Amino acid sequence: MKKQTVSHKVFAIVAGVLVVLAVVLGWTAFSHPSASAQSNGRIKVVFWHEMTGPAQQQLIKFSNEFNRSQKKYEVVPEFEGSYNEAVQKVINTHGTDASPAVFQSMDISTSQMHHTGYTTPVQKFIDADNYDVNKISAGARAFYANQGTQLSMPFNTSQPVLFYNATLLKKLGVTPPPVNPSYSDITRVATQVMQKSNKKVQGMSVEIYGWLFEEFMANSGTSFANNDDGHTSTPTASNLTGTSTVNTMKWLQTNVKDGVFANYGASGNALNNEIASFLSGRLAMFLQSSATTTQLTTGNKNKLGITYYPHPDGQKSNGVAIGGASLWISNDKSATVQRGSWDFIKFLMTAKSQAEWQAATGYLALNKDSQKQPALLNMYKKLPEAKVPGEQLAAAQPNNTNSGIFMQGLIQARNLTQTAMEQIYARSNIQKALQTAQTSLNGNIKNNNRANGY
Amino acid sequence: MQAEVTPAPKPKADQSAAISRQRAKGYNLHAGDKYYAFAFLGPSLLVLGTFVFYPMLRTLYLSLFLTDNVGRPTVFVGLKNYIGLLTSSAYQASLQATAIYVIAVVALTLILGLLLAQLAAKKLAGIQWFRTIFSATMGVSVSVAAIFWLFIFSPSIGLFDQIGSFLHLPIVAWLTQPGPAMTAVVISTVWMNLGFTFLILFGALQMVPQSLYEVSAIEGASESYQFFHVTIPMISPTLFFTSTVTLIGAFKSFGLIDLMTAGGPNNATNLLVYRVYQDAFLSGNYGLASAESVILAVIIALFTLLQFKFLEKRVTY
Repeated sequence: MKKQTVSHKVFAIVAGVLVVLAVVLGWTAFSHPSASAQSNGRIKVVFWHEMTGPAQQQLIKFSNEFNRSQKKYEVVPEFEGSYNEAVQKVINTHGTDASPAVFQSMDISTSQMHHTGYTTPVQKFIDADNYDVNKISAGARAFYANQGTQLSMPFNTSQPVLFYNATLLKKLGVTPPPVNPSYSDITRVATQVMQKSNKKVQGMSVEIYGWLFEEFMANSGTSFANNDDGHTSTPTASNLTGTSTVNTMKWLQTNVKDGVFANYGASGNALNNEIASFLSGRLAMFLQSSATTTQLTTGNKNKLGITYYPHPDGQKSNGVAIGGASLWISNDKSATVQRGSWDFIKFLMTAKSQAEWQAATGYLALNKDSQKQPALLNMYKKLPEAKVPGEQLAAAQPNNTNSGIFMQGLIQARNLTQTAMEQIYARSNIQKALQTAQTSLNGNIKNNNRANGY
Repeated sequence: MQAEVTPAPKPKADQSAAISRQRAKGYNLHAGDKYYAFAFLGPSLLVLGTFVFYPMLRTLYLSLFLTDNVGRPTVFVGLKNYIGLLTSSAYQASLQATAIYVIAVVALTLILGLLLAQLAAKKLAGIQWFRTIFSATMGVSVSVAAIFWLFIFSPSIGLFDQIGSFLHLPIVAWLTQPGPAMTAVVISTVWMNLGFTFLILFGALQMVPQSLYEVSAIEGASESYQFFHVTIPMISPTLFFTSTVTLIGAFKSFGLIDLMTAGGPNNATNLLVYRVYQDAFLSGNYGLASAESVILAVIIALFTLLQFKFLEKRVTY
């Protein structure tokens, strides 16, 4: 009996050792070898981005060009899925070997990214290099700056604009909207399109999209949140029930009710359906990001028209905020790697790179010298309207209501404003829908500030 | 620990009593057996502990906190996350939407699956071909199905609306109105589920002895009487299995919702599990998302328990 017990113990110990061994071996096999920081004598700079299609191809091209242009660093671009998911990935990997050295993060994550304390503001490198930041678009910079410090470098930047099918309008005998249209200009065009086409063509579509909601407010000079949209200090409450916001929603609701505006709903499918309808000549106008320009011109025989984002009647347009994403430098990497990240950012911001970027993707060239580059001149020759989004960006004087909302939790906020828009499109009481969104949002802001100790 | 010595086997007549006594006491362990037990259980306990029990406890813990912008629990709020959720109209709407969705999906999947299985069980020429077609959705991935259904439901260029406008029927904005959006999502999910349900039920139907039908036919039972009094009881274990699996699956539906409606319009298809995803992985609000996960887990456990308590009584094994 005793002998048997001993052999049991031996067996158990052997089994235990095997288990531990298997775990350890598995661990080492799957974890990155620590030598990966250096490859062929170059310092590796991992670059996380969320671009697909032509933009991704162009980024890979830029990385290769940068790697050929110098011998010290090697930029490795890695695609990380959607904007929303990337934010969480950056946060969750920070401080580990898996984290990126430089990463792209969407517009509305700016405040959150800054407040994590996981990044080095690019201002540090701008100052160190005496980098002439004035050649980069002021409107784009303002979105990613706080109290005079540039937090990240604006990169893929778009403007919300109005697209119209110029050929179709001409055929129907409808005068196109002016270059800086008011709400009633849009109503006029949309109504005429409906009437003259015997309701065969939908006049206009405004996607149920929190970004467009924010842009309506920006263009009317209304703050979304208090403390100047967070630009002076952390917001403590939101302001969704102002007169101009109510009036904008009234304009949308009336036109949707009258069938002058079509309702394509929310989410990515709405955009795809809008584009499909627009390209097949069933939709005359719609509001979207200027980044869709390439999609709307490729294979489209009809002439594309582009105007500024519409503004409320009886007032000048305040200018809209940009959309898109910016480039951030992680502070969990060595000073050398951070320097490599900054060099790569500088490379991306040259007049030549920015011109090529716009020509390839439809995102705007942010370097003021890009306008003279052959890549852009060629593009304008083919499509003069492509200048409009850039002109809109240049025309706006950055102020506290058109430079984005410097607040955390904007993804949730967009869910709330989108729900309000959905209710309004479905003929709910406007005041009540906005009030509901505002109450929920204020609750979120309060909790968020509490959790973060503001 | 003191080893218990198993008494020597009793004579045959007493054997069943001995077995039941042994069951009642649990199996007797030799002194060394527990080393064996841990050696064999160790790896799976390690894996389960790391990937199941720890996350479960962590979720419970997080649900009592507000989390900051990097997901750390910072402010203890007790049950406030739960109270806030259960009193918010948006969450109540999600609960209601989930109830409608789950009931509709489970009922339709079982009824249609059984119908198809009954049809395919008939011995007709070319029935093999139909059997393959009916189970074909098993091989379709969620993303492909979503694209396919989006094309059908799309406004202005969708198949349904094309047919509708050709027949001068009113155009339905399938995915942009709350009611139709739910209908669209339910139709797509049921379609996705049918292949698996069909295959399982068809298999069960094949196992029902033909003699039972022959006997009942001689007794003069009609086909519908046979269906309810022979077929259903005979396949009841399989029906129970499919209903439980479909129920849990319906509670966890994610892919089609994400790709087709993203929870909209007006939260009409924002099911509980999708809300968890939104709050955790899009908003990074882990405290709230954890509370939502716990509520969802409790609901699923409750339903499964009820199912076992009431439905299982009617199952004849």
